[in-house]
Amino acid sequence: MTQVDLANVQAAKIVDARGSACPGPLLEAKKAIGTVPVGGVLEIWSNDPGTKKDIPLWAKKVGHEYIGFLAGDGYERIFVMRRK
Amino acid sequence: MAENESEKIVIFATHGGEDPEKATLPFVVGNAALAMDVPVTVILQSAGVTLMKKGCYEHVFAAGFDPLKKLVDSFLELGGKILVCIPCIESRQITQEMLLDGAELGKAGSVVQEVLEAKAVLNY
Repeated sequence: MTQVDLANVQAAKIVDARGSACPGPLLEAKKAIGTVPVGGVLEIWSNDPGTKKDIPLWAKKVGHEYIGFLAGDGYERIFVMRRK
Repeated sequence: MAENESEKIVIFATHGGEDPEKATLPFVVGNAALAMDVPVTVILQSAGVTLMKKGCYEHVFAAGFDPLKKLVDSFLELGGKILVCIPCIESRQITQEMLLDGAELGKAGSVVQEVLEAKAVLNY
């Protein structure tokens, strides 16, 4: 998905994990994904630079689809589509 | 055997509050594993057993990480298993009543069984 496409994604839920230490954003993503309908998108905000590496690994392991990230102002917006 | 049980990992924690970072890391990795649907047993040995003592685990803070209490509470809430070495608590005059609810006690046989069942073992 391109940056332009991602910017137009309507997330079903946004998790603000800014300020959360490792592995907080993963735990918050795990809790939140169940509230998103299958095919819907979960958006995770994190200012921990490691999160954009960990979330794709988490998504692959648990059967969801990482679709990319966008740079925000001092944080990153990471997008995952619920697949099951 | 539960789903994903074949992927189970075991994490040995042998440091208490005297080394907050090494005390905290087993539960950082343990929580990440549980988030990834990987079953985890943390085995506390040596000074690591003090981490399960009420009045101790609330006061362990490592720079750059969440407080140990938050990580341990989350670990147990997500279904992580904590096995505490019986001889190690006995030698420190720690009784079962002094430990957090949710901690299981075991001796060497339980440790061997956990390791044999694990896909990987981490040591801290």
